[in-house]
Amino acid sequence: MNEVPGLKEDCEELLSAFQQADTVRFERFAELWRQRRFHTVFYGRIRALERNKLSKKTLDVALQYFLPPYSFQIRVGALYLLYGLYNAQLCQPKQKIRIALKDWPEIQRFQQDLVDSLHYDAAYVFRRLRLARAFHFTAMPKLLTYRTKKKIEENYLKEEFKDPSNRVNSLISNDVLEEMMNIHEHYQKMKRIISADKSQPYKALSLIKDDFVVNLKDITLEHQEWQQGRMKSFQSTKETDETEKREETLLKSEGSERANALARIKYRSYSAAVEVSKSRRHRQVQLESSESGSSCGKSPSRSRITSRRPQPARRRCSSEVRGEMQVAKETVTQHIGMPVITEEDSDEGEVSLPKRRR
Amino acid sequence: ETATAPDYESAEMYTRAFRVGTLGLGWRRLLGPPDLSLEEEAAEEGDADVAAALGCVPGTAADLRAVCSIDMLMSSEKEEDPDVIPEDSSLLTLRIRKKALERREETIIVDRACRQETLTYEMESLATGKRPDNPTDLIEEGELLLTLNIFYPVIFQKHKDHKPYQTVLVLGSQKLTELRDSISCVSDLQIGGEFSSQPDQAPEHISKDLYKSAFFYFEGIFYNDKRYPECRDLSRTIIEWSESHDRGYENLRSVKMEDYVFNDLYLKIGFPYLYCHQGNCEHIIIITDIRLVHHDDCLDRTLYPLLVKKHWLCTRKCFVCNMYTARWVTNRDSLAPEDPCFFCDVCFRMLHYDAEGNKLGEFLAYPYVDPGIFN
Repeated sequence: MNEVPGLKEDCEELLSAFQQADTVRFERFAELWRQRRFHTVFYGRIRALERNKLSKKTLDVALQYFLPPYSFQIRVGALYLLYGLYNAQLCQPKQKIRIALKDWPEIQRFQQDLVDSLHYDAAYVFRRLRLARAFHFTAMPKLLTYRTKKKIEENYLKEEFKDPSNRVNSLISNDVLEEMMNIHEHYQKMKRIISADKSQPYKALSLIKDDFVVNLKDITLEHQEWQQGRMKSFQSTKETDETEKREETLLKSEGSERANALARIKYRSYSAAVEVSKSRRHRQVQLESSESGSSCGKSPSRSRITSRRPQPARRRCSSEVRGEMQVAKETVTQHIGMPVITEEDSDEGEVSLPKRRR
Repeated sequence: ETATAPDYESAEMYTRAFRVGTLGLGWRRLLGPPDLSLEEEAAEEGDADVAAALGCVPGTAADLRAVCSIDMLMSSEKEEDPDVIPEDSSLLTLRIRKKALERREETIIVDRACRQETLTYEMESLATGKRPDNPTDLIEEGELLLTLNIFYPVIFQKHKDHKPYQTVLVLGSQKLTELRDSISCVSDLQIGGEFSSQPDQAPEHISKDLYKSAFFYFEGIFYNDKRYPECRDLSRTIIEWSESHDRGYENLRSVKMEDYVFNDLYLKIGFPYLYCHQGNCEHIIIITDIRLVHHDDCLDRTLYPLLVKKHWLCTRKCFVCNMYTARWVTNRDSLAPEDPCFFCDVCFRMLHYDAEGNKLGEFLAYPYVDPGIFN
């Protein structure tokens, strides 16, 4: 038997509860673990040989949630899960957690993230595991025995534990929008140059919508917010949400026209950090320094228990900029329905673009 | 040589070829002394160390020790019996396991370890954490441990779907010849010759002593045993065959087995290779795992290559007494009901020879070595 029946379900149930608790605090995980008396998962009258095999497989199952592409919060939960399972196992000496060489750099990054974001409890737990030498440092994740599998197991992945799929953002990134804006302005400029009236291009040359790029950015922004709203299960504290909205819609002109355009493109603000009370000093948030163009930024420091989902590192390649940025949204959707793209009335005299056949 | 991490060439089946030693380099570069150490587990560290590592104040470190203690995840109740599955567990795993164990109790009369299970368990775990008396025999930190499955040559029809194998652990720094010497194969013990007229003159030499040649084949290279003058290059025929026409093989080479250690080898994990000895006795070899040595492994290098798993083969018993393992086989035996017929030593002599040792009846007799002899 290649699996431990029921184990996947139990682990996912626990991680799901952890995800819904919307936190990365060990205290909270420990509560959920104790509620389920998870340490008993190794119980039963089993002899040593079978027990060794069972424990090994149990650790294997938990490990898969510790690695990408699962979300940051799930991975922290998996770390706690591994910590619990490793220590609760009844084997002597303990069965180890196998880490392949190709996966270690990612784990190191993850650990660094934890330290940088001041998630001390998670960093501490990882440290305890490492000092206990709970890992086997291997070439490959599993033993390879050239056994041809009778049925092809699909690569199992629990969708709810992943970050929301990023296809829209990866297609329409800041760089892409910026580039489009440049091209758009350059194009408009060229049109003006060859027109008689230098301030306005020939009407006959109006072949595209002027605010195309800005609209695209707005639509992308809406999509992202819709997606986040969808993933959020319950919002317990409304006030932090309001603060967030206020931060985002704060307008501040940076001066030059180009900077304004740029500001309108950057739609994520990680500027202000909320001060936490003394009682939660583990979760003190630290403002991060901005480095324009840094694509691999660290995770935003959200080491507090709020309804805001803990964010991973690096996933958003937007630069983090100090100070409030302007996000001018032409349309605002208050509900969580899929935003509808409305056709705007064409300006007078504008030649409508014929639909391109694909 | 840049150490790129091993990865699959065929998904979930085997990796790309790589030099074994680079795995050790790759890992040692990424890890620190506490990870590589083979000392027994480190003592509990102080708050100052924790604080320094995590970048917090010692007060926080003390808090962390309390909040994240493993006691937070263990049972707070008095002694629990881990053999007993709690009645109304919320865990699906336990509910399923309880049913399975109850069913086992109903159907199995005696539920204890059979000798095969005991053998398997002991082989797996007996050498665990063993330290040598002589400190020079202690394995070094950062040493690589390879897990090899060495398959028995095909003997029985019943094994054609799941070939039996032994599992051996070798060290990266060990020579190939050390593995070769440790592989026990029944064909090495074969005794050639017909001995019906002189049953007492069991020959001095077994096949292992007579036919000393052997090779390993990994990724286009034949590693031939050349330690003794009798050793021949068994791979020469294959190489000549491959070079005689354009058969689509890369340049096959032949080198000396005794010149190489496992760290030198270029190979794929999970891919079948070959060990050949006795001219035509062939064993498939698969490297199933390579990893850094750990303080819980057997740390006495004299015990390596270490046999950790062996397939139990039922031995053929004597036709007469059905108690002892067969040691003789006869053909065209006027005194036997079958051809071939197997006998243990005692029954063989009692049936075929008189009190003075004279041969009775007509028969051909050959010494027989049962494959299960290594059980």
